[in-house]
Parts: sequence; structure tokens; C-alpha cells
Amino acid sequence: MIQRTALHGEHLALKGRMVDFAGWELPVMYSSIIEEHNATRTKAGLFDVSHMGEVIVKGTGAESFLRRLIPTRLSKLAPGTSMYSCLCRDNGGVVDDIFIFMVSETEYYIVVNAATLDGDLDWMRTHATGDTEIIDVSAETSKIDLQGPASGDILKKVVGDERAGSMGRFQFFHTDYKGVRMMVSRTGYTGENGYELFVPNDLAVPLWRDILGAGEAYGIRPVGLGARDTLRLEAAYSLYGHELSDTITPVEAGLGWLVTSADDYIGRGVLAGQKENGAPRALICFELEGRGVPREHCKVIKDGVGIGISTSGGFSPTFKKGIGMALVRAGSLGIGDWFSLVVRDNPVPARVVKRPFYAFNG
Amino acid sequence: MSNIPEDLKYTKDSEWIRMDDEFNATCGITDHAQEMLTDIVFVELPETGMEVAQGEQVGVVESVKAVSNVYSPLSGRIAGVNQALENSPELLNGDPYGEGWIFKIEVKSPGELDSLMNADAYAAHIEPEK
Repeated sequence: MIQRTALHGEHLALKGRMVDFAGWELPVMYSSIIEEHNATRTKAGLFDVSHMGEVIVKGTGAESFLRRLIPTRLSKLAPGTSMYSCLCRDNGGVVDDIFIFMVSETEYYIVVNAATLDGDLDWMRTHATGDTEIIDVSAETSKIDLQGPASGDILKKVVGDERAGSMGRFQFFHTDYKGVRMMVSRTGYTGENGYELFVPNDLAVPLWRDILGAGEAYGIRPVGLGARDTLRLEAAYSLYGHELSDTITPVEAGLGWLVTSADDYIGRGVLAGQKENGAPRALICFELEGRGVPREHCKVIKDGVGIGISTSGGFSPTFKKGIGMALVRAGSLGIGDWFSLVVRDNPVPARVVKRPFYAFNG
Repeated sequence: MSNIPEDLKYTKDSEWIRMDDEFNATCGITDHAQEMLTDIVFVELPETGMEVAQGEQVGVVESVKAVSNVYSPLSGRIAGVNQALENSPELLNGDPYGEGWIFKIEVKSPGELDSLMNADAYAAHIEPEK
């Protein structure tokens, strides 16, 4: 059965065009993907991403459990800070990419993708020891993302907490909102400065309305999943099932910087080896020379030979051209190189460009 | 609710055709089609002068989200294309039956019109998609 977030009624009232997204009924857009994209880049955008999963990992074994599960150095974190990482299999393939928020030495809050939540929970529970508790709080948690250059000013108006204005990137805190505990984090997946807000479902509607009200003067717009994808693509952020998957390692995906742990984590044999000796494939960013929109699964051809496949593609509202990412044979393409991308059976000229397309603005 | 003008004929692929006189017509994609596609960012137009058969692909419309072929509602010769769409593809979103027209066609067999849908039939045809 298709699931709905606590904000479903708000989306309908705002005339969101609802689609089935990983089993959730969510708006792909409200008025225009391009307008919503541009509002997030220049003003502020508000996203309902309550379909994403939230898992609390707690107990005296939480730290050693995470050290075993992720390839990233856990000591990077201090209470009140967060980082991006992933859960890997023995072969280096990825179970999911995740955000880890360190609440305390014995409690971590993990945000995972909606479509992979069940698999992630199985994976975590399989590897948890008796001193680690895995608690799925996804069903009762709403996640609202406020992103864009004006997001800090808007947040300060909504959250009467002076920390809202002074927190650094990847920092978070808990505050009181209408008498209820809310987590506020300076993170997001759009390439803009922004915040992710986690509240119990009961608070989702008041918070959503408060933010839209406070943001009105700044030109805030509710933003659907369509623009969420174009924003993350411009920022060249990985999307699970596209740039990362069971069969794509983080090193191949250009996320070798996540592979920093000295612990004996799952997948270490493959990942450490790939980091040191190189991986068989590499992720590139590309743009199309002419008109047209690349999509995922387009073949990459160089000198008449297939060398890879696009993992994401789309029209960039910021740069007004077709952009994308592709997984290609390592060493086959460098920055500035030209190749052919087969878009709807037609080879079109494309050029490798530096990652990301759009640098973090905040 | 999509706008479906009464005076046009429609294809199952959501093209519309307006007879300008007995043998000349203007074609485009419907309001419903542009709504489904979302923001249109590129239009590949047919070439003026080309002969096309009814149902033959004559162009491509690409939106941020999706891509869609454009088929000719009738057989004939492409008599003109809307060059404005090359620089302003968003005209298709804003005014699909007016400034967002795609091509004009000299109709070879006006009898083919009978095979197209009227507004009511088209409205019923797209109903399940809503």
C-alpha cells in the first residue's frame, strides 16, 4: 500500500502533483520544477522528505558497531556534529549511503534512504552486538528540509534559539519547538546552505506552515522531488541506486574520501585496495555540447568503443544545459575529454567537466 | 483540469490539430501533455518540406523530467515550424494551443481527420492518467 507523509494534506492544498516515489505518495512539483529549483538557489525552498528513514543506534556498543559498519573514520565526529558515509558489503558494494549524527558517545542518529530502509535495518541488526540497540523511528518522524541562501534568516524567525544562527556546517542541536523536541541540523542535499529539521509527525504541519509563513517575505517556495533531483545533480551528490549501489563501490563513485577508517570495517579488503591501487571504474561528470537532455543508462562511447554508462542525467536549470554523471572504465577519460553519449539511439558529443557542476554555496 | 478546446481534433498521443482551411492545419501538443511533461526545455522541430505519414514521428519534446516524441496527426507535407520554440521552449507550457504551436502541415488526405478524437473523446482518453 502506498504510504503518505504527515504533510500529505498540505501538498494537496498547495496543488502538488503527487507521484509514487519508492512507495510514498509525494509531490514531484507544485508549479514548475525549474521555478522551484531556482527559488532554492536564490531564495529558499522547503522540502518534505519525511519518507526517508531515521534509525537510532544506541548503547555502550554503538561506537564499535559503527566502526565495523562504515569505511569512514568515526573519530571525525564529536557530539553535535554529523557526517556522510555509507554501509558497505564485503565486496565493497554499498548497502546504502547514510548520514550519521553523533548525539553522544553512546547514541547516534542515522538517516537513510526510504527505499533501502528495510534492508538497512536487516543489515544493522545482523551486525549488532548485544550492547547495541537499533531503533527504527522512521514511521513517527517527519523530516522537513529548508534549503537556500535565505534559509538561515527564515530558520531564526521560526526557531527561537540563538544557536540557529551560529551553527557550522554539519553541526546540529536539539531544541524545543512548541513544547516538543526538534532536531535542527545544518545539512542538506541541494548544494545550498540549509537545514534539516526532524520532528514528531504531529508537529510536521505546524512547522511546515510556520516556515512557509516566515519565509514568505524571502520568496520561499515549497519544492517537490523533481527539483530535489536537479539540485542534487548540479551539486554532483550521489544518489543511491544511481551513483552508488550494491555493485558500485564508494571509491568507484568518486567518494574515496569516505574511505578513511583504520578499523577492521566490512569491505575494507576491497575498499582499501581500490583506494591504494585504483578502482576498475571511475565516476565522471559531463555536460552535453549541444541541445538535448541526457538521462541515466545512456552508453558512453569513446573511439567507437563502449566504456561506460551514465548513472544520472538531466537538464540543469542553473547552467541551462544537459549534465550528468557516468561510470566509466578507469583512466579512459579525463577532464576536458570529449566522448559520445548515446541519447535515444543518437550519439551526441559530451565533455568531461570538473566535479561538482555547482559548488556548495554556503 | 486540462484545457481541451472544443474546436480541435486530438490524437491518442496528445497532439492536437486545428484545420486553418480545407488543406492546411496547425499542430502541437495538448495542455494535458505539457502538464504531464512538466517544464519543457528543448524542442526538436521537424524540417519544413518533409513529407510525413499519419502517426509518423516528426519531433521531440524534452522536459526536465521526461522526453516525448511528437507524431503527425495527419499525412502531408510540413509547411512550417515554430522557430520561436528553439529559444523559448517554455511557450509550450504557457500557451500550448497558441504561441506554443509546433508545426504547420499541408494535409494530403483530409479524410484522415475522421480517425482523430474530438474534445470529449480525448477528455475520456486521458481520464485514467489523472
